[in-house]
Amino acid sequence: MVLASTVTVLGLVAGCAAPGPATGLRAGRLAAARQSPVTLTETGSTLLYPLLKLWASAYHQQHPQVAVSTAGTGSGAGIAAASAGQADLGASDAYLSSGDLVGNPSLLNIPLAISAEQVDYNVPGLSAGIHLKLTGTVLAGIYQGTITTWNAGPIARLNPGVHLPSTRIVPLHRAESSGDTFLFSSYLATGNAAWNTRIGYGTTVNWPAVAGARAETGNSGMVSGCRATRGCVAYIGISYLSQALADGLGEAQLANAAGHFELPTAGTLAAAAASFVSVLPANETISMVNGPAAAGYPIVNYEYAVVSTRQRNAARGDALRAFLHWAVTSGNAGQYLNQVRFQPLPGAARALAVTQIGKIR
Amino acid sequence: MTASTTGASPVAASPPPRRRGLVRRLATGTPRVIGLLMVVLVIASLAWGVAGVWIAAGHASAASGVVGTNAPLSFEARQMYQSLSDADVTATSAFLAGPDEPLAARTRYQDDIAQAGTDLSDLRAAASSGPAPGASLSAVATGLPVYTGYVAQAQSNDTLGYPLTGGSFMQVASEQMHLVLLPAARNVYTQVNRTLAARSAQASGLPWIAVAVACSVVLGIALLRVQRWLSRRTRRTVNYGLLGATLALLVATVWLLAAFLGVRGDLTRAEAHDLAPAESLAQASIAVQQARSDEVLNLISRSGATSFRGDFNVARKQAGPGAGSLLTSAADAARGTGAATPIAAAGRDATAWYAVSSRAFSLDLQASYAAETKLVIGSGAGSSAARFDQLEKDLSAAIGSGQAAFTAGTHGGSGALTGAAVAFGAAALLMVIGCTWGLSQRLAEYR
Repeated sequence: MVLASTVTVLGLVAGCAAPGPATGLRAGRLAAARQSPVTLTETGSTLLYPLLKLWASAYHQQHPQVAVSTAGTGSGAGIAAASAGQADLGASDAYLSSGDLVGNPSLLNIPLAISAEQVDYNVPGLSAGIHLKLTGTVLAGIYQGTITTWNAGPIARLNPGVHLPSTRIVPLHRAESSGDTFLFSSYLATGNAAWNTRIGYGTTVNWPAVAGARAETGNSGMVSGCRATRGCVAYIGISYLSQALADGLGEAQLANAAGHFELPTAGTLAAAAASFVSVLPANETISMVNGPAAAGYPIVNYEYAVVSTRQRNAARGDALRAFLHWAVTSGNAGQYLNQVRFQPLPGAARALAVTQIGKIR
Repeated sequence: MTASTTGASPVAASPPPRRRGLVRRLATGTPRVIGLLMVVLVIASLAWGVAGVWIAAGHASAASGVVGTNAPLSFEARQMYQSLSDADVTATSAFLAGPDEPLAARTRYQDDIAQAGTDLSDLRAAASSGPAPGASLSAVATGLPVYTGYVAQAQSNDTLGYPLTGGSFMQVASEQMHLVLLPAARNVYTQVNRTLAARSAQASGLPWIAVAVACSVVLGIALLRVQRWLSRRTRRTVNYGLLGATLALLVATVWLLAAFLGVRGDLTRAEAHDLAPAESLAQASIAVQQARSDEVLNLISRSGATSFRGDFNVARKQAGPGAGSLLTSAADAARGTGAATPIAAAGRDATAWYAVSSRAFSLDLQASYAAETKLVIGSGAGSSAARFDQLEKDLSAAIGSGQAAFTAGTHGGSGALTGAAVAFGAAALLMVIGCTWGLSQRLAEYR
C-alpha cells in the first residue's frame, strides 16, 4: 500500500525566514522565493513517512508558501525517484549505494534523524511485559526455515523461564525494495555467517523459501499482516512501534555485538549512534548496524533525504534547502521526533548535514 | 611622378639620387665590390648558421622530447590510471572476500598504490616544467591519501568485527576513487597525450625545415652568382674559398634534410604502427577497468538497479572486440607487428570475460548474491576475476610491445637532428672562413 499525503493549501506570503543556508542568498532572490508558492515532492521510506507527514504539516504552518507532498513508497522507490528527478526529495532508510552515487554524482544523502528497526511478533499466550530475546543467528535461522516453532531450542535457550508455545513461526518480509529490508538483512548478515555468504543484505534479498512465509508492502502492511497472523515475526520500522503495540504485537530485545539484549529506546539508540560520530565521513554514508556500543541497540540507522544538488530552478533549490535545514534543526525537536520514537542527529552529524544541504543549488 | 607614369623609363629604374650616391661610394671599383660582397656573405653565412642550428636543434629537441619525455609520461599517466583503478577493484574484492582476504590481494593493493604514487611523483616533476597538467595531478595527490584513509578505516572496522561499518567505509572509498581520483587521472592521461601529439607534430612538422632549405637555396644561389661574377671580373675560373663555402652549405643542408626526413618517417611510421595501437589499447584498458569496476560496484550496491549493467555494456562495446571498437582498431593498426598476437589474445579473452560478467549480472537480478559474489571475485579459473586478470595481462603485453617498438623505432632520430645542428654550425664557420679567405685573395691582387 502506498501512503500519501499532500499539504495542498498554499497561503499568501508570510514573513518566514528560511534559516541557515538561506542567509547567504541575495535579497532579491530570497524575496522572490518567499513570494512564490512552491510544492516540494517527497517519496520513499515508509519508516520515515510518519515523521515527514508531521514535518510537512508543521513546516507549512510556519512557511505557508511552501507545501511538501509526501508519499510512503519504500526507500528503493524514493532513491529511484530522486535519481530520476521525479521527486525533489527521496526518503531512504539506507544510504545511497556506490552505484547510485557514481551513476549520478549530483546526489547527496543527508541524514535527517536517527531511527531503528524493531522486531515484532504475534506469539499467543505470552505474559504481558515479556520481551522475547532474539539474536541475529536465531532470526537468520527463522528466515531460512531452520527454526520453525516458537518453542524451538535456540529460542528457548535465549529466553529461560518464558513459557513458549509450539506455534509455527510465520516470517514476514517486505515485498518491495526497502530500506527496512536493508537494515534487517544487514543485522542477519552480521549475526550469521551462512546468511552472509548465501543470502547477504540489500534493499531486496532473495528470501529463502520458508513454508508460510509472506511478503507485505510497507511498514503498515507488516504491522497489519503480523496482527492478522498467529505466530508471525516481522521487522518493522520504529516509527510504527506505537501502532504495533496497540495491535497487540510483542517487541523483541535484540542482541548487540557485545552480547547484550536491548530494546529500541531513546537511550539505546543514542548510545549506538554516539559510537560512530567521530568517524563519520563527509558524505555521511555509514552503517551503524551492530556497532561497538555495549549499551546500544543493534539495528540503528540514519534516515536519509536523497536529493540532487542540481534543482530545476533557483526558487525550488532555495525552498528545498530551507526545508531540509529546518528539518535537521527545528524539525529535530522532541515535539516531532518523540511521536515516531526517532532520535535527533548528534551535533557533528548535523554540522555535516548542514554543509551538504549548502551544496543544493 | 615621372617614374610612376612612364613605368619603363631608365630614370625611373635608377635608384634615387641619395641612395645611388651611397652605393657608388661603397662599391666604386671592383675591390670595393669584393669587399662589400665579403661582408655581406660573412653576415649571411652567420645568420644562415644561426637559423639552421636553431631549427635543427628545435626539431631535435622535439624528437628527443617525444621519445624521452612525452611518450614515457603518457605511459606513466596510463599506468597511474590503471594502478588506481586496479587498487580499487582489488581492495573492494578483497573486502568482499571477508575474513579470508587473500594476502596476495592485500599485496596487490599496496603495490598498486605504490605504483600510482611513483607515477604521480614523476608526472608532478614533469608538470613543473610543463608537459603534465598540474591541477588534475594536485587532485590525485590530495585525493589519494583520503582514499587510502577510507580503505584503512574499512579494513580496521572489519578487523574489529564491524563488517557493515567497514563495508560502508569501503563504499565511501570507492566513491572517492570513482568521483575524484579516476576522473582526475583520466584528465591527466588525456592532457599528457595531447602534449605528446603536439610535440610529435612539432618534431615532424615541415614549415621551419622548409624555411631552412629556402635560406640554403637563396644563399647557395648568391654564392654561385658571386663566383660567376668573380670569374668574369678576375679571369680566375675557381675561387676555392667560395667553392668550399658552397660545398659546406650543400652538405649541411642535405644532412638536415636527410635527418629530418628520417625522423619524420620514423615518427610517422612508429605513430601509425606502434603508438596508435598502444593508444587504442590504453583506451581499451581504461574501458575494461571501468567495466570491471561496474561489475564490482554492482556487487556491492545490492540495490537491484540495472544501471551498472548498462554502464558495463557501454564500456564493453567501446573496448571491443567488434566493429569500430578500440581492440579492433588496435588490431588493424598493429597488423604484422609484435603486438598483433597479444591483441588477438585480448580480443578472445575479452569475449570470454564478458560472458562470465553477463552471468554475474543475471545472478544480481535474481538477488543471488552468494553465487554472484563467488563468480565476480572468486579465484577459480572460470571466475570473472581470473578472466579479467588474463585480459589485463594480454592488454599490458600488447601495450608494452607497442611502447618498446615505438621507442626502438624513433630512438635515433633526435641524434641525427642534433648532428645536423652541429653540421649547420660547423658549415657556417667554414663558410665564413671560406668567403673571407676566398675573397681576401682576390682583394690582395688589387693592392
